[in-house]
Amino acid sequence: MAAQTRTRFSPAGLRMAALMLFIALYTAYSAGPFVWVASMSLRTTSEIAANPYALPWPLHFDKFASAWLDSNYDTYFFNSVVIVLSAVALLTVIGGMAAHCFARYTFRFKGLLYFLIFSTIIFPPQVTVIGLFQIMVEYGLYNNRLGLVLVYVSIQLPVTIYILEAFFARIPKDLFEAARMDGYSEWAIFWKISLPVALPAISTTVILNTILLWNEFLYAVVLITEDDKRTLPLGVLRFLGDQLEDVGMIATGLMIAIVPVVLIYVFFSERLIQGMTAGAVK
Amino acid sequence: MSKTAASALKERDHANPVGAITTFILPALLVYAAFTALPVLRTFYNSTHLIVPNKPSEWVGFTHYTALWSDQIFWKAVWNTLTWAAVAPVLEVVIATLLALCLYAKVPFSRVLRVAWFTPVLMSYVVVGILWMWIYNYEWGALNTMLRAIGLGALAQPWLGHPDTALASLIAVTTWMWTGFNMVVILAAMSSLPSEVLEAAELDNCGWFAKLWYVILPLIRPTLLNLVVLSFIGKMKVFDLVWVTTQGNPLWSTETVSTYVYKRAFQWSTFDLGYPSTIAVIWFVIVLAGVLGLTFLFRQKDRLEY
Repeated sequence: MAAQTRTRFSPAGLRMAALMLFIALYTAYSAGPFVWVASMSLRTTSEIAANPYALPWPLHFDKFASAWLDSNYDTYFFNSVVIVLSAVALLTVIGGMAAHCFARYTFRFKGLLYFLIFSTIIFPPQVTVIGLFQIMVEYGLYNNRLGLVLVYVSIQLPVTIYILEAFFARIPKDLFEAARMDGYSEWAIFWKISLPVALPAISTTVILNTILLWNEFLYAVVLITEDDKRTLPLGVLRFLGDQLEDVGMIATGLMIAIVPVVLIYVFFSERLIQGMTAGAVK
Repeated sequence: MSKTAASALKERDHANPVGAITTFILPALLVYAAFTALPVLRTFYNSTHLIVPNKPSEWVGFTHYTALWSDQIFWKAVWNTLTWAAVAPVLEVVIATLLALCLYAKVPFSRVLRVAWFTPVLMSYVVVGILWMWIYNYEWGALNTMLRAIGLGALAQPWLGHPDTALASLIAVTTWMWTGFNMVVILAAMSSLPSEVLEAAELDNCGWFAKLWYVILPLIRPTLLNLVVLSFIGKMKVFDLVWVTTQGNPLWSTETVSTYVYKRAFQWSTFDLGYPSTIAVIWFVIVLAGVLGLTFLFRQKDRLEY
């Protein structure tokens, strides 16, 4: 690239150089913070204090072990995994059933139900969170992992139904008629035809919900206060409070929260992007 | 099967068996009723009551609403949130369009660049908040270090600690997070443009800027407006980032409606859930008005143009 801009000083070349500068600056702004925190996560706090921007050498991988073992990180991580996976599994089944229903059948109040469920997308969360807090206390679901799972199902339900419904609606009707002729029950049609055919859309919602719920903070902070029930975002914040001066250790804690998300992104980037942008493109 | 079929036929409607429909939709409806509809109704009910622990809630009429009218902190929070919701969508969509154009023009390494630009949106606000607190740190933060390195050390300051810069600094963080996301959506819209139109523009010997301004942008306008509305809705909800970094400080300069509701409901020892519910209800009305207003405005413009 550099060679290209140097060989000709034409307006086109200058424009190319400006373009490259813009791209380089934006990339530094966008990726720089990650590079920094990744390098700090492998350095001790005294090394960082001496020079916050030096290269990580020697690599202190043992910091990950001590962050994990000394400060309840294993509990937070385990809680997050269990809560997120249960919520995503429930979402897939409940959301899939509802989406199948909206896509395949006509029934009374269909439009109204559809509108009710989707209007929640624009609700500011404040309008649910206080009432939810009271209700969860009354149900005995406050400070309860099952309670958080159910709340997570409810907040991701509209977008899950939205993505799946769009996909189910495109499955040709003949497929269902044929299945009905073969004596399939309505449930068998859903379970053996709709779901397998819609596997791409389902994997999209699974990945999207996993990432969004993995990062969820507001409902967790309102509904969970006991340390052994905290999810990872709450744990990271707690860790920050405990280790206020220990920048190196906090950086390691941050990396533990970042790595699973990055791994999912590396393996499923196309599906993930599809899911995240599903609502935005019309 | 048609919607106009008499309800008498419903029971014999084999294509739409009522039993199966009920089974399929019931779980979703139950979850919706218990964890979305009921809490919302509860919040509306709260807003006209005084709700303190261990006492039956007491009807106070519209006292909370009148109190809210003269609550300086609330209006400060509204102002901050509206500023955020007005500035961030424009920044995000404009920068994202420029970035999408770069990738659309097939600059080298576009795959890597797309990954690098999109990644921030995948992070939890807790992680992002802590990371940017370090970047904005006065003594060793990356921003001040860079300023000092290029001889602008005089500009160095505690970015999140000063009332004049704190909000702008946080807006820069959400822009950092969401621009890549917007870029991916815009790029998808550009890639799905009909190639005949673009070729026609080239045949007409249209310059690249004219092509962009008169052909590409008008064609992807619906996507851009959609992104503006989405980003607006997102910014009206901002909570996590503020909570992790400044908690509304200094001097309420980063207080948002979400953080204020949270403080009044769960932090300040007023123990009343009624007043914060009133804030939530009023905010709900404002957000709804904002979304409807934006949608109406954009529709109106569309109608005028065609």
